[in-house]
Amino acid sequence: MKKNNFIYTVVMYFLIFVLIFPLIILLIWSITNNWPWPHMFPNSFGLRGYRQIFSFSNKTIKILLFSVWLSSVVTLITLIISIPAAKALGVYNFKGKKFIKILVLAPIIVPPLTVVMGIHVTFIKLGLANTFWGVVLVHLIPCLPYGIRILTDVFEIIGESMEMQARVLGARPMQAFFRITLPLITPGLISAGSLIFIVSFSQYFLTFLIGGGRIVTFSMLLFPYIQSGDRMMASAYSVVFIFTVLIVLLSVEKVVKIYYKTENHFYL
Amino acid sequence: MNTKMKPYILLLPALTILIGIFISGLILGLVQSFGYFPVIGLKNFTLRYYLEVLTDKDFLQSLKFSFYISLISSVIAVILGVILAYSILKSRHKKSIEKFIYKLPIIVPHTIAALLVYNLFSQSGVIPRILYNVGIINSQNQFPSLVFDKVGIGIIIAYLWKEIPFIAMVVYTILSNINNRLVEVALNLGANNRQIFWHILLPLIMPSIFSSFIIIFAFSFGAFEVSYLLGPTSPKTLPVKAYIEYTNPDLTNRPYTMVINMILTFISVLFVWIYSRTFKLISKYNG
Repeated sequence: MKKNNFIYTVVMYFLIFVLIFPLIILLIWSITNNWPWPHMFPNSFGLRGYRQIFSFSNKTIKILLFSVWLSSVVTLITLIISIPAAKALGVYNFKGKKFIKILVLAPIIVPPLTVVMGIHVTFIKLGLANTFWGVVLVHLIPCLPYGIRILTDVFEIIGESMEMQARVLGARPMQAFFRITLPLITPGLISAGSLIFIVSFSQYFLTFLIGGGRIVTFSMLLFPYIQSGDRMMASAYSVVFIFTVLIVLLSVEKVVKIYYKTENHFYL
Repeated sequence: MNTKMKPYILLLPALTILIGIFISGLILGLVQSFGYFPVIGLKNFTLRYYLEVLTDKDFLQSLKFSFYISLISSVIAVILGVILAYSILKSRHKKSIEKFIYKLPIIVPHTIAALLVYNLFSQSGVIPRILYNVGIINSQNQFPSLVFDKVGIGIIIAYLWKEIPFIAMVVYTILSNINNRLVEVALNLGANNRQIFWHILLPLIMPSIFSSFIIIFAFSFGAFEVSYLLGPTSPKTLPVKAYIEYTNPDLTNRPYTMVINMILTFISVLFVWIYSRTFKLISKYNG
């Protein structure tokens, strides 16, 4: 039994190493000045890539912040739309529920490329193509399934009884929502929101097509570097990408935690 | 009456977006695939484009290539993902690792996964460097280029890197929630570890393995980025082919794009349908 466990531990660490190793290489390549074949280690290190990204003359930082802003807007809208939908699907029984559940998950299965190519001409006619809101709208399609799915699970667990109780005690609907339901679903909102942010922030193709080159996000800056095989720059951009996502997620978690703590103190 | 309408009212914003963009996009694409594209004066419904695409050798090759890549990468991801999940379950120090593999696959987008493969497996990548320094290969050219290759190995590796943690995460969540008593009973009755895995754990995790298989299969079948960045110039995967047709400045080509898109969508939906049928069948036999 013990020996068996040892083998599993080895297998586990091996597989995890295989998954981590490419990220370590990415990090090394991003601080490399010169790494000619066939050297195992770079000849010289340097921060040229990062210096270029963070230099003020460059638009990269602006675009990075703009991307964070765009994805935050997408996340917020997705959550606002997802909350009532998830409540309907999680709490109530009604005609056509099964069908709507399938419809909600369909964008995960149907290639987004198909949808966007189909609607592109209409977006151009409506004046939505090449605009901020046009891009936000198409981002909703891959994001909504995650928001609704996760929050439906949450509503299935918490049900409606707490909110009903508040209503019976005389709370207005808005009061009941903000005082009772919202705090209850907050953990779900954070995990759904994180996932939605990542999905939106990672979109390349939808932004590229609907944004028409006018709306430029960080994913779009990164893409040509990967395409041209400029390893050092592509790696530096990737590292910045990954860190940005991590920072946004961690700070959201932190802010929410602080908010809840102070609120608790207030009531204590 | 009011309470009856309530769920529909709550669903209204979500359905507006889903029908307004998702369903409309699909229907508009479908209509264009039949040759109805008034913007450039095409106004007759015809099956011509479907016939032409479906008999085109290049298209069939792309279809095969896409199918092959998705199938191979999804099958291997499922096998390795289950092994990883089971290994985590069986080993110590689970907690932190569980949290880590959960985050790894979702934070890094597919474009960066493609870069990781390029960094490692191209002919000047890290893997050939290691092989050279160990003495297994004598020159750069001896290492088979695994990116831009006709067999699509680079693409498959990129998908594996994203999908193994995803499968492992799903399977691990379920494995760790399975009631331990079942395992204990089996142990008492003299079952060994292998029997427990094949006869108790595997049947219990099968439905979620199957559904995550469908999700990753459909995703890699319809995704553009990885095969665009790492794929060979021929054969192209279907999404890349659709993109190239789409960017053709000659708009009369548009219906061909939409036919490819519709076939892509049809196959993805078909897979989900097969999945739900099998799922029903399985649950029927399980009582």
